[in-house]
Amino acid sequence: MKMIRAIVRPEAADVVAEGLAEAGFFSMTKIPVFGRGKQKGIMVGSVHYDELAKTLLMIVVEDRDQEAVLKLITSKAYTGNFGDGKIFVTSVEKALTVRTGASGL
Amino acid sequence: MKEITAIIRPKKVGATKTALEQLGFPGLTAVAVLGRGRQRGIASEVNLDLSPELLSQGKSGGMKYIPKRMLTLVVPDDDVDCVMTAIVNINQTAQVGDGKIFVSDVEDAMRVRTGERGEKAII
Repeated sequence: MKMIRAIVRPEAADVVAEGLAEAGFFSMTKIPVFGRGKQKGIMVGSVHYDELAKTLLMIVVEDRDQEAVLKLITSKAYTGNFGDGKIFVTSVEKALTVRTGASGL
Repeated sequence: MKEITAIIRPKKVGATKTALEQLGFPGLTAVAVLGRGRQRGIASEVNLDLSPELLSQGKSGGMKYIPKRMLTLVVPDDDVDCVMTAIVNINQTAQVGDGKIFVSDVEDAMRVRTGERGEKAII
């Protein structure tokens, strides 16, 4: 299994979530976060914003679905400007459903 | 070392923390998160009474996202199973929405105060 953590624009989070649901990936976790990227925040006039509001989407999928989900997130969150976000993929060894205690997604 | 990420009901955080503390894992990170699972967010825990007319218009009684608490803790390899069992035992209510637990590998850890590396940093 893979954990996909996508940091996207807050306004794109719902579009991504709906797209994922349409493709059959209903389960996800959404976290409001603040951060900055390579551009060191943003300069608006003379005001420098160090940390920008983003939304972190956390999805755990089977290995075979990884590429499909990555493609979906990149297409839905894309605007072509700086600040579209980043996606990180880490491996998950085990998943457990609390209610049943069964392992697996 | 393994990282255990548990997404549980906000109501159960206190009991889970107490249980983990008794096991010897007092340190954890808790984040308020929004999410949905296989039931697509429309869970019985947010059951609202809607008139049949509204329901027939396609308006559901549920919510798109459900507030949950995400607990993250890093434990030595040998303790993964006992921590997972403890979390499952505390959080089981037999209703959907009890949450999920994910386990992933952590390569290294470092304590900021002393600069200790590896397992020494998390014990």
